[in-house]
Amino acid sequence: MSYPSLTPSSRNFNAGDYSYKTFKSQNGSETRILYGDKRTGMTLDLSYDNIADTYADDFITHYDSVKGGFETFDLPAAFRTGWSGNTSAIDAATGNKWRYDSPPAITSVRPGISSVTVKLVGVL
Amino acid sequence: MAKVYTGKDGRLLIDGTEQIKVSNWTLTGSLEVLETTTLGDSQRTYTPGVQEFNGSASLLYYNDGTDRNDAASALKKVLKVAGVTDSDTVTMTLRLVEGNTNHDVQLTAYITSVSFGARVGEVSRADISFQGTGALTTVTI
Repeated sequence: MSYPSLTPSSRNFNAGDYSYKTFKSQNGSETRILYGDKRTGMTLDLSYDNIADTYADDFITHYDSVKGGFETFDLPAAFRTGWSGNTSAIDAATGNKWRYDSPPAITSVRPGISSVTVKLVGVL
Repeated sequence: MAKVYTGKDGRLLIDGTEQIKVSNWTLTGSLEVLETTTLGDSQRTYTPGVQEFNGSASLLYYNDGTDRNDAASALKKVLKVAGVTDSDTVTMTLRLVEGNTNHDVQLTAYITSVSFGARVGEVSRADISFQGTGALTTVTI
């Protein structure tokens, strides 16, 4: 099963960083060694407020289908709805794919209605 | 036939008993709405949440000569030694009368606040507030 194609109520994207190591000498000068040419570790927090339980359970089904945080996956375009900038700017950068950073959390709001929050991280 | 309702048409029943010397009652119904707006929407959208009903009434602290005092009965729902339990609900019927036709809203409620007092030059009255629990049981307005 692919990730549910729903439009989120809110989206929080963090761009991640390149892999490098910093060495600092006693006189304060800093040396950095770059270990890769691809940005990684971007995070994406999505919330889906007040959706039907029948949609909310799709997130659990997908979570199972990718073995929790084990496998990586792509996101449908719906997650970018409302974003008018470059589509790749808020997606997993080149070479990266998304995986679950933590299990989807479902909050039951009223009978038949729930809110879901998802935390994803981009990995190479 | 045109009909304007006034306080003269109003009645208040508690547990099926029409209260004597009621000077006013109000009922408020509200609906919590849950926002379903998503990214990219230009207008907010909502879905129904839970409903709530509450209200208030004012009764003269009046003894009808047969030791019946409806205000005191209502006050005792809160002013009691043993404390309030689940069984202390009352059936509130808020009614407007039109000839032989009753326009009712009925609900089960807890009386949540009471106040009464005495003041020189004024009639003593009991003001009560009630909080509905569960759905309305009758609506014939």
